[in-house]
Order: sequence, then C-alpha cells, then structure tokens
Amino acid sequence: MRTAADLKKGEKAIILDVDNSHYSSHRILEIGFTPGQEIELVNKSIFDDPIAIAIRGTIIAIRKNEAVCILI
Amino acid sequence: MHSHLTTLTKNKIPLITLVGQPNSGKTTLFNYLSGKRYKTVNYPGSTVEYSISKILGKFAVNANILDSPGIISLIPSSPDEKISVDSLFAHPKHGIPDIVAVTVDASQLSRHLFLVKQLIDAKFKVIVVLTMLDILYKKGIDISESKLSEILNCKVVKVNGINGKGIHELLQAISEDIDDVKYDSSISAKVFSNADDLKANLIESYDEIARIEKEVFFERKISAANGKLDLQKVNESIVVLNSPRFLNKPDAATLKIDKIVLHKFWGILIFFAVMTLTFTSIFYLAAPLMDLVNEFFSVLSDTASNLIGNNWFGDLVSNGIISGLGSVLVFLPQILILFLILGLLEDSGYLARGAMLIDKPLSKIGLNGKSFVPMLSGFACAIPAMMAARTIANKRERMLTIFIIPLMSCSARLPVYALLIAFLIPQDKPYIGGLVLAAIYVFSILSSIVIASLVNKFQGKLIKEKDDSSFILELPTYKKPKLSIVINNTVKNAKQYVMKAGPVIIYLSLVLWLLTFFPNYDPVVDEAGKTPEEITQLKDAERISGSYASSLGKIIEPVMKPIGMDWRVGVSLIATFAAREVFVSSLALIFRITGDGEEDMQNSILTSMREATVGDTGQKLFTTASTAGLIVFFVFALQCLSTVAIAKKETGGWRIPILQLVIFTALAYIMAFITYNGLRAVGIS
Repeated sequence: MRTAADLKKGEKAIILDVDNSHYSSHRILEIGFTPGQEIELVNKSIFDDPIAIAIRGTIIAIRKNEAVCILI
Repeated sequence: MHSHLTTLTKNKIPLITLVGQPNSGKTTLFNYLSGKRYKTVNYPGSTVEYSISKILGKFAVNANILDSPGIISLIPSSPDEKISVDSLFAHPKHGIPDIVAVTVDASQLSRHLFLVKQLIDAKFKVIVVLTMLDILYKKGIDISESKLSEILNCKVVKVNGINGKGIHELLQAISEDIDDVKYDSSISAKVFSNADDLKANLIESYDEIARIEKEVFFERKISAANGKLDLQKVNESIVVLNSPRFLNKPDAATLKIDKIVLHKFWGILIFFAVMTLTFTSIFYLAAPLMDLVNEFFSVLSDTASNLIGNNWFGDLVSNGIISGLGSVLVFLPQILILFLILGLLEDSGYLARGAMLIDKPLSKIGLNGKSFVPMLSGFACAIPAMMAARTIANKRERMLTIFIIPLMSCSARLPVYALLIAFLIPQDKPYIGGLVLAAIYVFSILSSIVIASLVNKFQGKLIKEKDDSSFILELPTYKKPKLSIVINNTVKNAKQYVMKAGPVIIYLSLVLWLLTFFPNYDPVVDEAGKTPEEITQLKDAERISGSYASSLGKIIEPVMKPIGMDWRVGVSLIATFAAREVFVSSLALIFRITGDGEEDMQNSILTSMREATVGDTGQKLFTTASTAGLIVFFVFALQCLSTVAIAKKETGGWRIPILQLVIFTALAYIMAFITYNGLRAVGIS
C-alpha cells in the first residue's frame, strides 16, 4: 500500500487511513491528517527528508518514517 | 457546598486563561490586553512559563488574564505540553479558569477548532477568538461568527490583536460570561482506554468540524456589498464554498518562497548565509556597545576608587562590586542582539524551515531538527538554550541536546578569547584575530558534533529508550516580523539572563575579592626612596602573594604545571566556574591592574601578561603554547555554575549535569595538555 512518504513532489492524494500502530499516529491525526482529507507534497528538505505536506490550509514538515503511517 | 463555592469565585478576581495552538495570535492578544505589563512565572518545579497580568484598567474588566504556552491538543505529547494541559485543569496557583478564551486562526479553522471542541467537551466556559482574518479575507472568504456561536453554543468574536479591532466585543463577551460563571466540578478531559477509541474520537471530531465548516464560511463579496451582514444571503452562499479544496490551499506566496528556501542548492546557501549573518552581527554589532559598557564601568570604578580613597573599602567597591557588575552587563549587547535576530527569524517563519533543513543531519548524530534553535541560542548563553530544548518531545534527544549545549561557544567565552587572541597575534595585524576566532568557532562546532555522536552511541547502550523520535513541525506562513513583539521577547530574555546569571557572578567576584585582599590586607613594605605610586604597586603585589587566593592557588599549582600555567591562572580558572567572563576581571584582580586612564583594561592586562614570569625563574608564564592551551581549555570546559543549575532543573536530576561537569572539564584539561605539549614538541614554545 502507498503511503504519504511515497508521494512525489507536487503529487496530490486522498488519505485512506492512518496506521494506528505507529507511535506518531495520534499527533498526526490531531493535526488534521484524517481519512478523506486531500494532501499534497509541496516540498522536500535537502536530503529528501523531512517532507513538507500541505493539509487543511497549512504546511506540515514531517519525517518520512512518520509519514509512512499516512496511508493513501 | 455549591453555594459556598460560588461565593468563593465571586470574591476572588476572575481568571481568564488564553489557550491556543502555536501561531494562532495568542500572545499578540495577550500583549494587547495586558499592555505588556505582565509578570512571567514558572510553573512550580518546571521551566514551563506562563505570563499573568490584570486586564488593563482602560478596558474596565476586573479580571486576571493568563497566557499559557501554545498547545495542539488536550492530550499532551511532550512533557512541556503535559504541564500546560495539567495547569489548565488545575492551576497550582490560580485554580480553574473562569473563562477559557481560545485563539483560533480563522484561515485554518478546522485544525484550530479541534482544540476548541476538546475544551468545550471538557466543560470549560469557552469564548472563541477568531484571528488572522486578513489571511482569510485574502482568499475571498468570510466567516459568520453568529453561526459559529450558535453551533458551538459559546460566544465567538473576531479580533485583530494588532490594531485592537474587535477587542471591545471580546471584552463585552467576557464581562457577560463572567457574571454567569458557575463552577462545575466536572471539568475534565476525556480519557481513552485504548488507541482505537482515541483514533475513532479524533476522526469523529474532525468529521463534526467539517460539518461546522460547511455552515460558517461564506463568500466575502456578499458582506462587502452593503457593509452589513444579511444572514439570509450568507446562508445562500455558504453552499458555494462546500468544496474543502478551496480552503485547503496554503498561502500561495509561502509556497513560492519555500521553493527557494528549501531548495537543494539555494536552500543550503541561504541557510549558511543566514547563520553567517547572525554570528557576524552578534560580534560586530555588539562590539562597540560592549566597549561602551566596559568603558562606563572602568570610569565608574576609577571614580569610586578616587572618591573613597585608597583603602580596603574603596578597593571593595571599585574592584569587587563595580567590576563584578560590569562583567555581567558587558554581555548584554550580545545577548540582546542574538535574541533580536532569533526573534526576527522565528516571527518571519524562517526558523521552522531552518529546523527542517537540518533535521536529517542532526538525526544522524542522535539529535533532532528541533535541537537547532536551542543549539543556536547556546552561542549566546547556555541558560536560555537549555530551556528552549523543552520543545523536543523525545526524551533521549532532549537530554542529548542539553548535554552538548555547553560546547556551543557562548558569548561569555568571547572576552576570554578576545584577550588571549590579542596576546597571540602580532599587534599590527588585527585581521588575523578574526580568522583565529572563526577557527575557534569551527573547532568547537566540529568537536560538539564528534562528542554528540560518541555520546549518542554510548548512551544508546546505556539507556534502552524506545525510539519514538519524531519531527512534525508546522511551517508557518511567511510574514513580516512584528518588531514590537520581537523586542518585547528580547527584553524578556535579556532580563532572564541578568537575573539568573547576575547574582551568582557578583557573589563570586566578591568572594574572589575577599580571597585576594585578605588576610594580609595591609602589608608592610620598604617605602624608602619610592614614589607613592610605586608603593601602592608594591603593596598590591605583597598583599596578593600573601592572600588566601595565593595559598589556595599553590595547592592546585601541581595540576596547572602540566598545561604550562601557575597558581595565578589556576585561581582565575577556579573563579571562572562562577562564569567564564570572570576570567578576565579575575586576571586583572590577581595581577592587580587598575585602569590608569590612558590604557584600557585589556591593554594593561596584556602588558602584565607579557611581563609575567613563572616564580623567580624569569621564564615567561604566557607563551604561545600555554596561551593556545588555555584557549583549548575554554573550548571544552564547563565553567559555569548557572549552567549546571539549569541542567539539573531541565533534566530533572544530577546525573547529566555531573556527567557534563566531569567529562567536559576532564576533556578540557586533556586537550589543553595535548595542545601545550604538542606545540612545544614541534618547537613552538
């Protein structure tokens, strides 16, 4: 299954689910990454990690190993 | 019982607590309501701060207002957040808030309403303060506060915390609600027994918020038409905006700027340019101001000495008290400038990008992108730097950040380096000094990287902490920094430095004065055929060699010998544990240097350093090798009691501060030993 960490720059996707077993899943849900939301990978840091995701009108920087729990 | 509680509430001044997510305009509003005349207090037993003030008299509402740190949710995920959340439910000093005013960024309604919902569910008396409306208006959207108020069943006001628009409505809402507050003992946050329930609740909350959003937004042109809101028309147009994609788009200008700021090439270039600019301004902008402070205190010291006369009291005032005070205040310009720049960078939105850019490299050595700001602050002073580390949620990363902060070359080391470099380089080539200083900084940064990665490896084996390292950070919309807020924070931080470091430094310089002045305070010298000036100098020399400091120094002399130093430098180094900057004034005290008007303090110390010999051997005390060794010593040594105290407080125990003290001081000694003897071995004495 694809996750937000697999997104290419400029690619949009709809969140299908958030993997609850990941230690960061609650914070990720709390800041608005909920199923059905549209996200867009707007930028990557110099080493392609962390990535910047547009969600709900803002931009969130998040590490790839945390973005893997956002299923798309 | 209930009526008793009600009387209690009526008798005390009502408490309004401001709650809000980071970047929601909470502090701007607080400053407006408090008129910036607030006091900042730590929660008992922690370094998390809150500010409290009475609402300004002109607003005619008799209530206290409390500004708490920004939180995302009532379910905390860092120790810092836990304290803020716990105190919201039961403030250790002020109890339960009568009203909770939540700042909500209207341009990011869904994310911010989440916290509002949690607060309402917890049964707080909530007033929603909508902020950042200008950003929303730019998107051509407006929001109906009456609709939102109806749905949430609480008061909603639109406020601009900068020009005060809407403040009147907010105060109106507050005074209405205050009269109507009934203490409800059932205030509490929902508790979830398992992760699935929590997840379901979070999703449900957002679903509900999505329904609310659909009802409150409307196209702005409708309200612009006749200036007044026609609810009927609003209702009709709301349907148009139902597409969430319309609101989902982040600020377009911000996205464009980020393309460059986070670019693989330009991003790095900008990052290094910003860092270089920050550091050069700390040094170059601060230098003339520091000279001014220095000059002021040296004139003050001379004046005091002349007024009181050449006796023990005059010496106490001029060399003990005034010099001590001067050694604290001389760093103020640097600290002010660093915090000013940090504040501007943070308020503009750049710091979050800096943290994102450096997260990957820092995570390789066991740190976090969020270590970036604490480490940067460490170049001014370790005290605020360690306090800034509390934003790091992961315990292991927070501890490691605090651990290496003393290796960041704080501004207290600068006067020491300045003096020692001035001694090392030829007087006609001052530019070499700048290069040497830059080299020292690069050396200290490289050393801290090596040490962090070593400690990280070592500690990984010692503590089996669950690896839940996390970096999730909102990249705020770029905006022009608000100077008044930045200056306000800068002054607050500078005050904190003076209050925390000041007393320690002054006490220790008094102790040092006592040790150098007694017991032989009035030595008998052969006065025949000598000028009064020569007699004074002779007396000073006699007094110091028979002083407590000298006896103490002679005990540690065997330790100082291997790094090419004698008891006088030894005493200065011990004094330095009060604060590193004491080194310069302590050398001056021990070598009994008083500014004579023509030469400044630094030059007279330099002269004495060049003349100083080891015992009676005639061998020079300060040589290239021994001075270089001394510089290396200062790079590593943790000579700052305030840092130890803060590290104890921040890490919740003595383990880390003691490890720091032992490891860094031992390392300093070993490295100084290697430098001194290595240089001599290759023929540089």
